[in-house]
Amino acid sequence: MKEEALKVIKEVLAQGRKSLVEYEAKQVLKAYGLPLPEEKLAKTVDEAIKYANEIGYPVVMKLMSPQILHKSDAKVVMLKIKNDEELKQKWEEIHENARKYRPDAEILGVLIAPMLKLGREIIIGVTEDPQFGHAIMFGLGGIFVEILKDVTFRIIPIEEKDAWTMIKSINGYPILAGARGEPPADMKAIVDMMLKVSQLVDDLKDYIKEMDLNPIFVYPEGEGVVIVDARIILK
Amino acid sequence: MKSPKIIEELKPFFEPNAVAIIGATDKKGKVGNVIFENFKKNKEQGVFKGNIYPVNPKLDEIEGYKVYKSVKDLPEDTDLAVISIPAPFVPQTMKEIAEKGIKSVIIITGGFGELGEEGKKMEEEILQIARENGIRVIGPNCVGVYVPDTGVDTVFLPEQKMDRPKNGSIAFVSQSGAFAAAMLDWAALAGIGIGKMVSYGNKLDVDDADLMDYFIHDESIKVVTFYIEGVKEGRKFIEAAKRITKVKPVIALKSGRTEYGAKAASSHTGSLAGADTIYDAVFKQTGILRAEDFEHMFDVAKAFAKCKLPNGDRIGIITDGGGAGVMASDAVAKFGLKMAELSEETIKYLKEHFPPHAVAGNPTDVVGDTDAQRYKYAIEAFVNDPNVDAIVIIVLFQVPLLNEEKIIEILADYAKKSEKPIVAVAMGGKKTEYYAKILEDKGVPVYPTPERGVRAIAGLVQYAKYLEKLNEE
Repeated sequence: MKEEALKVIKEVLAQGRKSLVEYEAKQVLKAYGLPLPEEKLAKTVDEAIKYANEIGYPVVMKLMSPQILHKSDAKVVMLKIKNDEELKQKWEEIHENARKYRPDAEILGVLIAPMLKLGREIIIGVTEDPQFGHAIMFGLGGIFVEILKDVTFRIIPIEEKDAWTMIKSINGYPILAGARGEPPADMKAIVDMMLKVSQLVDDLKDYIKEMDLNPIFVYPEGEGVVIVDARIILK
Repeated sequence: MKSPKIIEELKPFFEPNAVAIIGATDKKGKVGNVIFENFKKNKEQGVFKGNIYPVNPKLDEIEGYKVYKSVKDLPEDTDLAVISIPAPFVPQTMKEIAEKGIKSVIIITGGFGELGEEGKKMEEEILQIARENGIRVIGPNCVGVYVPDTGVDTVFLPEQKMDRPKNGSIAFVSQSGAFAAAMLDWAALAGIGIGKMVSYGNKLDVDDADLMDYFIHDESIKVVTFYIEGVKEGRKFIEAAKRITKVKPVIALKSGRTEYGAKAASSHTGSLAGADTIYDAVFKQTGILRAEDFEHMFDVAKAFAKCKLPNGDRIGIITDGGGAGVMASDAVAKFGLKMAELSEETIKYLKEHFPPHAVAGNPTDVVGDTDAQRYKYAIEAFVNDPNVDAIVIIVLFQVPLLNEEKIIEILADYAKKSEKPIVAVAMGGKKTEYYAKILEDKGVPVYPTPERGVRAIAGLVQYAKYLEKLNEE
């Protein structure tokens, strides 16, 4: 697990970069068995069409560039692509937008991903504290984290009981437990994911400075979780 | 559990065979004089049983005690050195201490890391000598150690200006020396017993983790309280905290909660205060109870020192004043506890023994014409009720028919024999304070408001739940 993840990290470092693009971050997460959508990095438009057909339309296109970390701001994310025709057209558009946003942007490719079923959004983050080392953060995603800051921290490594306590301690817990007739969220899958993140960061603590898995979609009990977007910053 | 090597290492700080006071002087009010006087007085009173060796090259004797010219001349039984000479002389003295084979050193002197680079260099030199020679150091820039039981008292604030608390089962550890001194003075007034106080200042060597590991094995200590500004070795702290909270409760007051506070802390004692949320996480993860302020810290500590742990969070309230009962009930909700649902037997028993105008319920109101006997019925019923986990007894001593001595006897008796924690609340003025002190001396923690009494119980419940979770694994 560690070796594969380390390989990705070392390649990025060798290129003189500190932050991983989404695709690279997801390679690191994949090495630790974290739940990710079935995605592929296309270098050419023909590759993109091939992957889109493998995955099945509709798909999402996200342009990967080390210089463009806020993809939405640069308008390099295209949702609900329905067919080959539209994909070709958006391929041009997405590259045009990238050039407009950062003329010097180095483009690694375009990530072709399936349109995911929406779920309740959570966020898992990692930050390094100068005294205590790496800490893991858990909270509800979207406005809950942006405005209400409804999050909780623990120092890594965490144990299973820590993960459960974290989930139950946020104010928004009833949203996950199932408020107003909603089915309860797949809490076990969240716990499993948190433990894997803890393990990953503990193994790679000499390299990782910060990490954001945001958003993560959580589905009803038994249906799992999936990491939609990911960011990793190296030391 | 960690090997008791730490016990061997730290024991001389708390029970030395002989203490060398380096920088002892006959000049009244100087640090080296106050410390010497503390030991001398405790020796005369038979509390401090070790030998006292003042060290000062310029003196031959102080008040009948032979003064040693240098560390080299000290007798062989010296196992603790207390240093209060100017900072630039400390490294050389440490070398002599190392040659002499003394393994425990308290450096009271300030003017080190907290002042900048020069001071930091001296600290590094001292630490290197300590590490190479197996010496443990408390300080520098601290008030050191206070142990009422063995008469160790390096607190350089003279007794005329600062009272010392009586012996008790609370350990109090403080980074700030001024805060430590003020707290000791306050604890003395409040009648809170302190078993051991350690103020470690710049925390060059002995730190929170070492002290936690020591207190795990220290049977005279039931609860450990910390005033923390910053932690240097986070991992070590977490590991030690996890070890001790399995055995005994730890309560921490962490300053620098706000951004303004954090800035102030980083310029004090040369330490870095981490982000407050991270401290919250560390405390939750390790089972340390976080205190809001020093009142909260000692309210809870006092409960731990005197009470058994509850089996749950269902609180029973007995009062002789309706309003106070309502305030306590509100506090039960505020601190996340539950009001106990009394069993039918309890209600029946109370109704049989109560006059019709007293209220059998939760809260149970024995009302303003109560005597001690009516309280006794209520307490008896609550103690025997399996639906009650902890009991808050509000005693307004002002009511006319309540015999103070009798109710104090009853409360002390049940607090001792009941398996449940019992705390008392007594609101009032001078006379209340007088009786509250007697009650407290008999082993019942007493609080001046219902809210503080309930909050203290909430601390017991929180720790009991933590232990329960640990045992689930």
